[in-house]
Amino acid sequence: MPKREPYRNRIEILQGTLDMLILRTLQWGPQHGHGIGQALRSLSDDALRIEHGSLYPALHRLENQGWLASDWRPSEANRRAKYYRLTTSGKRQLAREHSKWHEMVRTISRVMRPAEG
Amino acid sequence: MRLPRRPKEQDLEDEIQAHLAIETRQRIERGEAPEDAALAARREFGSVALVKEVTRSMGGFGLMDSLLQDLKYAGRTMRKTPGFTAIAIATLALGIGANTAIFSIVDTAMLRPLPFQDSDRLVRISMTRAGKILGGWSPMDIRDFAAAARSFDGMVSYDHWRKNVSLGQGSSQPEELVVGLVPGAYFDVLRIRPILGRVFTPEENQYGKHFVAAISEGLWRTRFASDPDVIGRALRINGESYQIVGVMPEMVPAWMDHTAIPIGIWTPFTSPRMWTEAARGGAGNSSIGRLRPGVSIEQARSEIAGIAARQATEHPALQGLGGTIEPLADTRAGPIRPILFMLCGAASLVLLIACANLAGLLMARNSARYREIAMRAALGASRPRLIRQLLIETVALSLAGGLAGLGVAAGTGAVLVRSNAQGTAPYISGSKSLPQFWATVPDGRILLFAFAISILTAVCFGLGPAFGGTQVSLASTLREGGRSGSVGASRQAFRRAMVVAEIALSLVLVIAAALLVQTMIKLQRQDPGFHRDHLFTAHIFVPPARYTDPADIARFCDRLGRRVRAIPGVIDASVTGVYPTAMRWSEMFTFDGHAASRLADIPQARFGPVDDRFVRTIGLSLVSGRDFDESDQAASPPVALVNQEFVHRYFPNENPVGRQFRMGPPPGIGVPADDWQRGSWQRGSGAVRVVGVLANFMNERPPIPPSPQILLLYRQQPDVNFGFKDVVVRTSVQPETIASAVSRELHALDPEIPLGEISTMERHLADQTADSRFTTVLLGLFAVLGMILTIIGVYGVVSYLVAQRTHELGVRVALGASAADVLWLVLRHGITIGLLGVGLGLAGALAAREILAGMLYDVSASDPWTLGCGSIILLVVVLIATAIPARRAMRVDPVLALRSE
Repeated sequence: MPKREPYRNRIEILQGTLDMLILRTLQWGPQHGHGIGQALRSLSDDALRIEHGSLYPALHRLENQGWLASDWRPSEANRRAKYYRLTTSGKRQLAREHSKWHEMVRTISRVMRPAEG
Repeated sequence: MRLPRRPKEQDLEDEIQAHLAIETRQRIERGEAPEDAALAARREFGSVALVKEVTRSMGGFGLMDSLLQDLKYAGRTMRKTPGFTAIAIATLALGIGANTAIFSIVDTAMLRPLPFQDSDRLVRISMTRAGKILGGWSPMDIRDFAAAARSFDGMVSYDHWRKNVSLGQGSSQPEELVVGLVPGAYFDVLRIRPILGRVFTPEENQYGKHFVAAISEGLWRTRFASDPDVIGRALRINGESYQIVGVMPEMVPAWMDHTAIPIGIWTPFTSPRMWTEAARGGAGNSSIGRLRPGVSIEQARSEIAGIAARQATEHPALQGLGGTIEPLADTRAGPIRPILFMLCGAASLVLLIACANLAGLLMARNSARYREIAMRAALGASRPRLIRQLLIETVALSLAGGLAGLGVAAGTGAVLVRSNAQGTAPYISGSKSLPQFWATVPDGRILLFAFAISILTAVCFGLGPAFGGTQVSLASTLREGGRSGSVGASRQAFRRAMVVAEIALSLVLVIAAALLVQTMIKLQRQDPGFHRDHLFTAHIFVPPARYTDPADIARFCDRLGRRVRAIPGVIDASVTGVYPTAMRWSEMFTFDGHAASRLADIPQARFGPVDDRFVRTIGLSLVSGRDFDESDQAASPPVALVNQEFVHRYFPNENPVGRQFRMGPPPGIGVPADDWQRGSWQRGSGAVRVVGVLANFMNERPPIPPSPQILLLYRQQPDVNFGFKDVVVRTSVQPETIASAVSRELHALDPEIPLGEISTMERHLADQTADSRFTTVLLGLFAVLGMILTIIGVYGVVSYLVAQRTHELGVRVALGASAADVLWLVLRHGITIGLLGVGLGLAGALAAREILAGMLYDVSASDPWTLGCGSIILLVVVLIATAIPARRAMRVDPVLALRSE
């Protein structure tokens, strides 16, 4: 029997939001996969830990969509790394997702905290 | 700068390595030891392979890139489960091997185009009586046909004959070869152009100017050392000198003349009386034609039928005869076509069983990989992508199986061909024509077939399990945890259905094989009507060029017979024109009260010119009257022996002894056009008197009942006393052992006559059933294959069932179920599957009985005994395959079974 994962006090990423978060982290400039993962972790005060098994597929998916572009540059580890950056259409996509997200948060909040008379 | 064609795969690898390097460096900076840091980085990252795998499936990778990856992955999976891989490949190898082997025969015998230019326009032109094909038309008739027909671009009549040929100059030992008798136009119709020299001119087709010969490329290379000056050289045929005028490429396949090896020498087809009215009819020779471009077979056939009908009104002799054509390619398999169809069907059944087995195995394996598949789906791999992955694994398996199958096919082919080695006879009997079509070395077409069938198998039988296997519901699978294997009752049902199908198909094969085996046994036990053992046979040709008078031939044979009888170990010996079985020589005859004016009505019987020792040597039994004896000399009144069938057919209710009849057709019709160079029944009056009646004996091929038979003494019948003779010897020792002694005696009499076709009656009789035996062995092999596969299938399903229900069985045992109860629980499944399969199989066998009936002898295709035994055998097999896992179930320890939860 495989072991059950112990319950961890972390937030499961809602389906579809990972893409938005990645686009968001790249707003500050080009970054490689490791950096993006780390940025997500520190920005969320360690609450978000992205599985590498999800991160890299997502990066490639976004690149194929044309929202990200990439190039190889030397990294801090004396080794070339693949740096991703936002493209123009990527910026537009981020804006779209951002407003969609706001809309959703507002809606959910309305449902969860109804006005009390 | 990145190279433009740098593979994406390398990029992904570098990207991940960079990630690991950065992580390691950061950990070192935080104070971890370098080795620990590297390890920790790796551990934190998780499975590199899986991440790559899923990332790749995001697209953007070239098709080749990802196909290659899929293949690599498939290879890894195959190596990880060697048991499954071995069984799957073996299953496929057997199924594909059987089909490839059969395809190689069917291809050479039926499908492959003939080696001639525009070969689809070549047809065989036949003479028919009451819709039944008798043979070809005579040159006389073909000439008239050609003059009248509009659909043809050439038509010829040709023949072939065994002759003594000396290839070297003068003194070399002559050998008996089959010589093709053809007009020059024969090569034109087939579109064969000489390599050297020329074909025969129309003038050389006239009798007396015909002493020219063409040889084949093979003969030219092996016997004339490819001598470019061979044209103009002489060779001797039956003691007469022929000038070589051409060397022809080796293109005419052996089956066209029913010879064991392709014909190597041709001479013009001519005889003194070939162009006389009496020579109409034919049937002994062959005729072929080439259709004009754009003319359909049907058009040409109706034209030929029309011309034949007109001919029949103009020439009374031809009344009752019709004409038809069929594509030349269709005549090559001839009588074995139904056998080939049946073998195709049987091989497909084996493949179906193998595939059902494989589909079941794949379904089981995909279920076992449920968690893996679910995980991949969770990480974002799309369903089509997963299906493709599973399919590629199946294709890889299937191709491996196909490759192994080619080996299986070539191996069985070699073994079967060797066990059916061609005998010494120059002609192939109609009952032993299968092995000649068996290709032992697979060529391009066969490779292509094996490849296509592998892919087709993989797609047809991998698709279902792949779809089933990828129907994953994330939540339920990942939550199911330990009992991840216990999925979908529908999958188990699918496997059970596959196994039921396997049992049904196996039963059909087993029943067919059993019926054929019984046929075989009955054929071989058939009483030939004589003593088959201790008979030596050989063939000689007494050349008429040196023995010009038939009386010389008779004297020579008489002396040879006496010398052979003096050999120690010889009981009796006969020098004869024929011997049973499958006696091909037929003659027409006439007798009072049977006036016939047209060819179709003239009575015919199997005929044999023999000596006075024939009946005794072979061991035929006399029913009434007397045997030939030494007092029946050349000058005394001609006598005849007939068989009971002859009496029954032509002299019913009277005593035939003392009755007279006359050999040959009534005057004016039906003289065969051949090169016998002596007209039939011309010298003697042809009148003979019956002196004795023989019991029926096997004068036809074994399943065919005996025909009317006439035996005459050749010394009294100069017209049919030809040079070709058989030496039949009854021995008290092993018959093969006297060959050299007989050869010595022959050499002492005439050193230039070779002793050919040395064999025994047992072997001759075995040859008569060779094709049936070959078919039976193959079908038996298929039935065994089917059964083995079925056992694997049943065993797999039941073991799986037991493994799955271990927990339940444990509970039952804990609650007090006895070992017998548990055994029954498992056996019940086997029995249900078995009964269902047998029921379906019986229905299938009954449905297939029409196809089989034509191949059976003295046993019914729905023989209840056979059907019953076949069913019981299969049920027993299913029970054995069930019993092994059932025993395991009986030993389930309830404590262990429950603790494993």
